[in-house]
Order: sequence, then structure tokens, then C-alpha cells
Amino acid sequence: MSTPILSLQHVHKSFGPAHIIRDANLDVLPGERHAVIGPNGAGKSTLFHLCSGQFAPTEGKILLNGKNIAGLKPAEVNRRGLARSFQITNIFPGVTVFENLRLAVMRKHNLQFVFWRSAARLRLVNEEVDDLLTKIRLTERAQTLASQLSYSEQRSLEIGMTLASDPQVILLDEPMAGMSHEETDYTAGLIREITEGRTLLIVEHDMSVVFSLAHRISVLVYGEIIATGTPEEIRGNARVKEAYLGEEAA
Amino acid sequence: MKYAPLLLLVTVAVLIALPWLVSGSMLNAAVQMLISALFAMAFGLLCGQAGMLSFGHAAYFGVGAFAAVHAMNAFGGEGLLPTPLLPLVGGASGLVSGLLAGYFSTKRTGVYFAMITLALAELLHALAPHLKTVFGGEAGVSSFRMPAWGIGFGSLNDVYFLTLVWTLVSIGLLYLFSKTPLGRLALGLRENAHRLRFLGYNTHALGTLIFAISAMFAGIAGALQSMNIEAANYVVLESHISTAVVLNSFIGGVRVFLGPAIGGAVMTFFGHVSSDLTRVWLLYQGIIFVLVMMFLPRGIVGELVERIRNPSGEGLARTISTLLARLASLAIAAFGAVFLIEFLQRVLSPEYRAGVTEGNWPDIALFSYDWAPLSVLPWAFGLGLFGFGIALVIMVNRRVAARKEAQA
Ligand SMILES: Nc1ncnc2c1ncn2[C@@H]1O[C@H](COP(=O)(O)OP(=O)(O)OP(=O)(O)O)[C@@H](O)[C@H]1O
Ligand SMILES: [Mg+2]
Repeated sequence: MSTPILSLQHVHKSFGPAHIIRDANLDVLPGERHAVIGPNGAGKSTLFHLCSGQFAPTEGKILLNGKNIAGLKPAEVNRRGLARSFQITNIFPGVTVFENLRLAVMRKHNLQFVFWRSAARLRLVNEEVDDLLTKIRLTERAQTLASQLSYSEQRSLEIGMTLASDPQVILLDEPMAGMSHEETDYTAGLIREITEGRTLLIVEHDMSVVFSLAHRISVLVYGEIIATGTPEEIRGNARVKEAYLGEEAA
Repeated sequence: MKYAPLLLLVTVAVLIALPWLVSGSMLNAAVQMLISALFAMAFGLLCGQAGMLSFGHAAYFGVGAFAAVHAMNAFGGEGLLPTPLLPLVGGASGLVSGLLAGYFSTKRTGVYFAMITLALAELLHALAPHLKTVFGGEAGVSSFRMPAWGIGFGSLNDVYFLTLVWTLVSIGLLYLFSKTPLGRLALGLRENAHRLRFLGYNTHALGTLIFAISAMFAGIAGALQSMNIEAANYVVLESHISTAVVLNSFIGGVRVFLGPAIGGAVMTFFGHVSSDLTRVWLLYQGIIFVLVMMFLPRGIVGELVERIRNPSGEGLARTISTLLARLASLAIAAFGAVFLIEFLQRVLSPEYRAGVTEGNWPDIALFSYDWAPLSVLPWAFGLGLFGFGIALVIMVNRRVAARKEAQA
């Protein structure tokens, strides 16, 4: 077994008296597509917040490429190669789609405190933005304000922005929520394509997507990871059926 | 929008020709307008583009003003810092103080940010009278503009051109800045700082830097101001200077590039014109602000740009005739309102009250007529005009609405 690229070791998170993540242990292997499933309120998004620097864990270690990132700031985590999307759309609403992606792409080219170059003339950046626009099928909407996109278009933009920094590890929190069948299919294909050569950790409620996309699945219930395994193993797992999949099927 | 470069060219040409077109007093007002415009543009970078509402921008304006006066005295307008380059000192001091103040204030956002900027400016304002060597006490610090580069800088014309060049160059630089990666990130900061952090950006450093650049241009404006009057006094640190730049920028439109400049220039012009005519200019300024925010929330220029981008679909002639009808009705209402306010102000003024004896209320001269304050006439006249104007506005609006309905 190769060493995990992202590894959660005995991670706990409490908000005051509420113990939301209880001793989570999870190894995500390089190159795999790993899904986290679980009922509403299980703590899936909280887990993502912990990995991406939004919150610091109360206890435990989070290793990215073998280095502890627990408690680092979001920007620092991003710089170390982990990018994420959000369950609640998190974009720059008042500027164009193009600008949204450009802001996301610029960081990768170390364009942060640069005030002596014209953004419009950054050839590489613009090419990458155009490329992303094609991928997320928003080329036609490049000059539209992000706030005026439809909900599912905004979800696509969210994915595009997450990709922009060319991350090693991508965390997607319910990327397909609110999409039509066709859009879900397309996005599943897109995620498959863009995560080629990267590592994906995804939270998704659409089980057909999860079971066809993921190499491995972890099941989170009440802040505990009760099982990790291949889709077949998870389907056959009695505890999972009882705690989660059973209720979905019913 | 395709006429924008042409419009710009004409404006610059008019500005260059201005000394030959207007009187000295007007030219003096024009210098003030340019300074207000630049100051508002500096504020607009921070508030409009980066979404950080500062209530303490007088501090950086003032720092620039004092730095320039001290530099003027130290260098005598020669050597390393000839007179035309003195605004650089204002800019540098604005930049440094902006880095410092920005570091602390941008640790917070929204209301807390605004409160910190306000507190820092008030701190400086409270300290200033005690630091006599720096701020010169009640008398302030004065200086003289020395000749340099073969220019005298004694005449108003020279001052005007100095101010014009610095204002245009600064606004040009601000425009170019808005097109750079850092300038684009200012928008990101305004729209969603949280997301920027998850894209790997250091939002605190970004905020500090943009704050400092805004303060730098405020400092240049301050330097131009003190060079114009050849003095600086700690009244430039007063909070009404901070307030005025906020109001002016919003009236012009803080989210469109030249909005703050136009707002600053127009309001300064009104202030100049009306200071001879009325004592209640601040009241009018407040009323204009409230009205603009209620009916043109994007500001005057913002609304104009919006109309040009999304024309009403009624054709140019119709649009213009509707606009003229609206303006004419508003002018009538405004005249009525101004009449009432001025009349009331005169009735309530202590000078007039002193002249009232035993129920004998002398007539009041207003708009070259004498009006008896106890008669119905002046009140009915003002109220009537105001009501008539408003009724006309409503009528115009109804017509437009009816036409729209007929189209749909
Ligand atoms: N900042 C917070 N403070 C207190 N409680 C929180 C906070 N964030 C999340 N919680 C609680 O933690 C629990 C897990 O929330 P989380 O959003 O991680 O669930 P989830 O598995 O992503 O659910 P969903 O499927 O609905 O997205 C919920 O009970 C929630 O109320
Ligand atoms: Mg969630």
C-alpha cells in the first residue's frame, strides 16, 4: 500500500459542548477518487472544513504529504496543494465569470501583489481561464455577472475555481447538488477527467454518482467513520446498511 | 461607451483651456474641485473597488498636507524636491501612514473596519493640537511656493496647472492600477474575501496594501491642497472632511470608475457657489445625499452608465424628452424647497429674531422680493411650487409606466 497523500489521525472537533467529529481516521491514497457519504448533519462538511483550514481540529493530526496541516490557515493549506469547493456556492457574485476564474488562476502564477503588469495581458493566465471556461461549459457566459448565472451554472463555476490552482488534492462538497440529470452526468465526466493524476475527496448525496465515480468510499455517521472500502465492500457492509444506506433504500 | 475616449479628450481639453475661459474666483474653485475629485478617487479605490468603507480618510489627506508643507519649508522648493514634485512627499507619507493604519484596520471587516478607521482618524485629530512642532498649533504651518523649473508658481494659473497635472496623472494611475492583478484582487476582496483565502491569497496583506495605496493618493490630494493655500492647519483632520469624501463619492457613484471624481467635483462646485448664497449648504448637501441614495442608489454617474448600458428601449428622442421633463419638474420642486428652506432659515436666524419687536415682524427679502413672514403668501408660494414640481414628476413617471405597459 502506498503512503496516503491525505491522512486524518484521531481527529476530533467540538463546538463548545457539541462533539461533531469523533476520532475520525481516514487515509486518502494518491491518485484515488475517495467519496465520503453519510446522513445529513453527520459532519461531512465539518471534516472538509478541518482539512482545508477553515477550522482547526480540537485534537488529532491531519497530514498532507506527510506534513501536519492541522490548524494552518486556508491560504497556507491551498498553497500546499489542497483546494476545495463549498456546499453553499462560494463565488465572487458581483464580477464576471471570466473574472471569477481569473482571480482563481492568478494565484498559481504567483500574481498577488503585482501592480506593474496588466491583467489583460497575462497570456498564460488568460489561456488557462479560457480552457477552464470550455471545461465547465461556460464560455458563452464568460462576460456574465456570476450572480446572474443559474444555480447549476454557479455550481460549475465553483468547480472551475477549485481546479484553477492546479491542486494535487481536490475536495468537492456536494458539487452536483441542484443539477439536472444531464448536468450531473456531464459533471461526473468532468470530475473524472480533471481528477486524472490528482486525488479527489468528494462528498455527494447522489449514490449512483458516488458508486460509479469513487474508487473507495468512507461512511461518516455522527462524526465517526464507521467503514471505508471499495464500493462493493460498502454495499455489502451490514453496519453501513443499517446506519445509512438502508434508510436511503427504504 | 464607444464615445468615452472622445468625451475624455474633450474634458481634458476644456480643463486645459479653463484658465482662459473662467474668472479667477471660478479657477480657484476649479482647483478645489480637482483636489476633491482626486481625494474622492482615492477613497473610491478603497470603498468602491475593495469594499472597505473608511470613515477616517481625512487622516491621510491631512498627513499628506502637513508633510508637503514641511517639505516645502525644508527644501525651499529646490534641490531634490522642487515645487512640482512636492506632492510626492504627500504621497509617500500617505503610503506609510496607510500601511500602518491599514495593517490594523483591515484585520477586521465591515462595521468594525469602519470604526477602526474612524477611531484612528479621531486619535490623530485629538493628538494634533498637542504636537505643536508637527501641526503648528492653532495657527497651523505655513510656507511659500518657490519657483522651480522656470515656473514661478506664484500665480493662480500655475497652481491650477500643477493641480491639474497631478490630478490627471493620479487618476490615470488609479485607472491603470484597477487593471493590474492587484487591482482585480481588490474586487475579489470586496466580493468575497473568504473565497480568496481558500484560493491561497493573503487577504490581510492585500487589504493593507490597497488601503495604503488609497491613503497614498489621499496624501497627494492633501499635498495639493496645502500647496494651494500655502499652509496646513489641523482642521484638515476634522471628521467632516472624512464625511464629505464619503458623501461625495457615493453621490457620484462609488462603484463606477470616475463616479467619485465627478461627485467630488460637483459637490465642491455647489459648495463654492452656494457658500455666498446660503448659510445652510451642509443641509443641502445632506438632502442631496439622501435623495441620491433613495432614488439613484448607484450614484449619479453609476446610474448614467447603467442607463447607457441598458437603454430603456424607447429611442433616444423619447429618452431625452423624458429626462428633460423629469429635470424640469425636479427643478421646480427644488426651487420651491430651496425657497422654503431659505425663508425658514432667515425667519429663524438670530439676527432677524433680534429685529422682531412686539409682534412686529419685518419683511424678509428673498429672491429680490420682500415677503411678510406672517402672511400665507411666502409659505404658500414655496409649498405650492414644491408640490407642483412633485406632481409633475409623478405625472411624468405615470406616463412612462403607462407606455411601458402598453409595450408589454
Ligand atoms: N460552526 C459550527 N458551530 C456549531 N455547530 C456546527 C458548526 N458547524 C456545523 N455544526 C454542526 O455540526 C453538525 C455537522 O454539520 P455538517 O455541516 O458538517 O454536516 P454534513 O454532514 O455536511 O451535513 P449535510 O449533508 O447536511 O451537508 C451539524 O449538527 C451542525 O449543526
Ligand atoms: Mg455538508
